[in-house]
Amino acid sequence: MAILNLKKRQIECKIVYYGPGRSGKTTNMEYIYKTFTKQVTGEMVSIDTEGDRTLFFDFLPMGLGEIKGFDVKVQVYTVPGQVQYRSTRKLVLKGVDGVIFVADSLAVRREKNMLSLKDLQHNLKEYGIGISRIPLVIQHNKRDLVSEALPVMSLEQMEKDLNRQLKVPSFPASALTGKGVGATLKECLKLTLISLKKEMKLE
Amino acid sequence: MNIVKKIKTLLKEAELYHSQGLLYEAMAKYHDATELIQKNDQLKDKQRLIEGISKKINALKKDISRIELAPKKPEMSTNIQDLIKKMSSFSPDLDEDAKALEAAVTLAKFGQFKRAISEFNTLLKKDSTRIPAAKNILRCHIALYSIDDAVAQYQRWLSEDAFHPDQLDKLRIFLENQLKREGVAKILPKTKDQIIEIPAEESAETDRAQVSEPETTDEEHHEPAAETEDVLDVNSIGVTVEDGPQKGNVYEFKVRFQLGKVVSLLIPSRDKDVVENFKIGTELHNVQYYTNVGLFNGSGLVAAVKEITIGPLRGDFCVDIEVVVH
Repeated sequence: MAILNLKKRQIECKIVYYGPGRSGKTTNMEYIYKTFTKQVTGEMVSIDTEGDRTLFFDFLPMGLGEIKGFDVKVQVYTVPGQVQYRSTRKLVLKGVDGVIFVADSLAVRREKNMLSLKDLQHNLKEYGIGISRIPLVIQHNKRDLVSEALPVMSLEQMEKDLNRQLKVPSFPASALTGKGVGATLKECLKLTLISLKKEMKLE
Repeated sequence: MNIVKKIKTLLKEAELYHSQGLLYEAMAKYHDATELIQKNDQLKDKQRLIEGISKKINALKKDISRIELAPKKPEMSTNIQDLIKKMSSFSPDLDEDAKALEAAVTLAKFGQFKRAISEFNTLLKKDSTRIPAAKNILRCHIALYSIDDAVAQYQRWLSEDAFHPDQLDKLRIFLENQLKREGVAKILPKTKDQIIEIPAEESAETDRAQVSEPETTDEEHHEPAAETEDVLDVNSIGVTVEDGPQKGNVYEFKVRFQLGKVVSLLIPSRDKDVVENFKIGTELHNVQYYTNVGLFNGSGLVAAVKEITIGPLRGDFCVDIEVVVH
């Protein structure tokens, strides 16, 4: 839930990158940190452990200008993807305003994608949020691997697996090259801001 | 597909998965490739190929163990701890003290126990947060140091008249329940006069003798519970198996400890077949929860399953079930 500070005329909201381990959530954020220099308002914080696995979360503060005289600040987080960090994911998700689900295109990670989406749904439900009600965007990451003749799922297959019922905006992407990263974030921010405007009756 | 091409493809996949950090997937592909080579006698340099893959498997094993042995909840820098506290700021409708309590609880949840204890100590001075802060201090002591340390902390509060008698009663009952969960049956003193100093050495022996903690389980579940109040204490649970050869059988498991809504079971290795029914995310529809006040029916969500790989409980399973009450 976004924080509205009337005194400072500031809205602070939270976007979370969710998805299975090693799907590219941190790589997405690293690309944003390097590329969106105008919007990034502070240092990116990464808390990782051996093997570059996110241990707690990554954090990136951003500023998005103004809505109706309110300065919009965004806190972007990633969660640790590995199954055993369930309670940490739930903690990071607290107060979330928008979610980007980063799915792994590798066929071998098909089941992990689906389990992670189910985990997201479950954790949101614990906070009383329906997955169909939160601004959500799906990113089909690692599309660069398609050209390498490796077992990569088709976009149709991924849409069928993950987005058949949700029907949310989705983007093919390669966080490594940056393709689709900006588009995914922009769409999520757009949906989040529309939702906040409605919620805070700023329209 | 030509056999050589097949092997090359498997190795290419394995390399890719390794580079992506998908270590178990890489391992599976290396094993597939080894098996394929072993089955084909016509292959030239068969032994050399197997040895080459074996080296890669060993490198992979090193990477896996490095990750598994890395500390799960290391103590972070002050800046990162401040950021962790900030995460709890997304709680609407809380007053300043409640927000401060939640921030300290968040620190404890992330394993930053020392800083959390320091913040809880500040909150002891406020009436509204006094008891939850004290309970969380005891939880942090258990998680960070030992049971004796938590008991010593309680005794200090008792001897210092730091709390009202009714508040001390609450803390005593709370700590006794925490100890029970850790497998320690200990009656705590109710008044100053009942405090008996335990020599340090004897006290350490007591801990070793009575607490049969496995050396490795999911560390996330050793953290202090952050809820200010727990749900009903569950002593054991009965689960009806819904699928497979054991379908319809009812198994009863003792609860090792409980954190809020999550109960942690220790299942002996002989019941491995039953554990196979507990996949993470599976909903168990027919669960009986036995508590001190009676039995209630509900369902449960399998939150974590882990085989204990070292220590006296090696081979047993630690299964976490999230209680869902209908």
